[in-house]
Amino acid sequence: MIVTRMGDGSFIKMSEEEVKADIEAGVEDAVKRGKIEPLTAAEIDYLVDICCRPQKFVSVQQGNELILTYDSGTLKITRLGIPIGMPQIMQIYERAFAADTLELAYVHYSFKPIKMIVPEEQYAVAETSLVTTAPLFYGAMPNLPLYTQPDGPCPNAAELLPAGKIAEARAAQEEAVEYAVKDMVFVGSGVYEAGADGIDFDTTAAAGDAEFQATLLACEQLRAKYPDMAIEIGMAGEFVLGFHGQLEYDGVRLAGLYPHQQVKLAEKAGASIFGAVVNTNSSRTFPWNLGRAVTFCKACVEAAKIPVHANVGMGVGAVPLVMTPPIDCVSRASTAMAEVGKLDGL
Amino acid sequence: MTETNDLLKKVIESVIGGDEAAAEALARQALEQKMDPLQVINEGYVVGIKQVGDLFECGELFLPELIQAAEAVKKATELLNSAITGGAESSKGKVLIATVEGDIHDIGKAIVVSLLVANGFNVLDLGRDVPTLDIIAKAEEFKADVIGTSALLTTTMVKQKELEETLVKEGLKSKYKTIVGGAPVTVRWAEKIGADAYAENAGEGVNKIIKLISGS
Repeated sequence: MIVTRMGDGSFIKMSEEEVKADIEAGVEDAVKRGKIEPLTAAEIDYLVDICCRPQKFVSVQQGNELILTYDSGTLKITRLGIPIGMPQIMQIYERAFAADTLELAYVHYSFKPIKMIVPEEQYAVAETSLVTTAPLFYGAMPNLPLYTQPDGPCPNAAELLPAGKIAEARAAQEEAVEYAVKDMVFVGSGVYEAGADGIDFDTTAAAGDAEFQATLLACEQLRAKYPDMAIEIGMAGEFVLGFHGQLEYDGVRLAGLYPHQQVKLAEKAGASIFGAVVNTNSSRTFPWNLGRAVTFCKACVEAAKIPVHANVGMGVGAVPLVMTPPIDCVSRASTAMAEVGKLDGL
Repeated sequence: MTETNDLLKKVIESVIGGDEAAAEALARQALEQKMDPLQVINEGYVVGIKQVGDLFECGELFLPELIQAAEAVKKATELLNSAITGGAESSKGKVLIATVEGDIHDIGKAIVVSLLVANGFNVLDLGRDVPTLDIIAKAEEFKADVIGTSALLTTTMVKQKELEETLVKEGLKSKYKTIVGGAPVTVRWAEKIGADAYAENAGEGVNKIIKLISGS
């Protein structure tokens, strides 16, 4: 029997046939939802092989290594209670964790609170860029709900929608988009001018289509302002939720887009890297989630003209939804993303 | 027969289109034509809202459209219900629903409520951040068949366990069927705490509640 896990991290045992059946079901779910091509029989067999290898840690063949990046790097070490500053944390990522890019981030990790402390963040960016050599990103979340009551000036769509006030809910989200774009452009400009190589819009569209639109518009403005700036748009999930439902970018309705469609708009807006995300279903097995995540990501890579980095971490990219992602699943998902999904980075 | 089918087809279209005015007008037209209100509900509005649920599930319709459709069904079925013999409601059962204490998320719950109402259930929505004892007290008062709870946080889902434990402690567990949902909640969690059912999404919630009430 093969020891694997459920999406909630608990151990289960499956036969090889059951592993294969679950991978096929995961692939089928992605195909049905995204209207994309399935993995080939050989690719599915390779995923089965990855899942069934007895080793705790699985890796790629030499030559198939990927760019390895970490988001919100400074927050993760800070959370451990280690009292060191941002530049030193970035040095640890660069020199101990083998990160190919670095990401500096403020603890609130949202553009709105960061706009108040841009000079402090500029100092951290400048200081870090003097002691590291890897490309330095500054990352934060668009976090549209911070612009709605009680945290912001706009009416709260989450209260208006259940009350049946559809037009008001849509207007409130459109108003929030305007505030969010201004903050993202302001912060992005500030950190870039202080020496960051780029900006990472992390967990984009967590609040749905309006947040995706705000991010695309901010990306477009930053690209026009800084032609050489690296801009990564990392998503929150494989599907753009339609909290507004009618918003468009470049004539395309944003609600309901899957990764292979999202990446085309990110390209149009001027992004340099796209962060594909496929959420883990905690009620399904790791093989099911793996088949599904790799199918979505592979379709995204095939559609993309810019590099695609898959999110492979807690609750995304087939990794179980637990606080400390288990290495058996992280290493298998990473291997599958590299060798079957043909991603450019993780 | 063709006239009836045409009207039912228009009813379904009005629900999918979220056209409240058309849905209501068609309900009035059905009553004027002496059609059976129950047939119009079951073969028109319920079919329409089920299709809306399927389209929502597939990501082809979104939250605003879902709510518009549910509102359209609610108003039209209220009219038809009032015309059913003696004005009695054709409720499929009583469902009490709440977001557990400490949790203020209720968009998902609102979708479930809309679908349940549209499917003919009598629903008491206690809102969000509701203490366990209040849920039980209201269930007793409302004479609920099913108690549904939602939790969006790992820190608040323990309140679903508290509800199950309290129902057992108070000797009320056999009186109600319980169903749990919410982002961190899983079927294994439901089994672990002793809930009668778990629903991954709103559509499944309605189907599970129908099964719980029918005992199948």
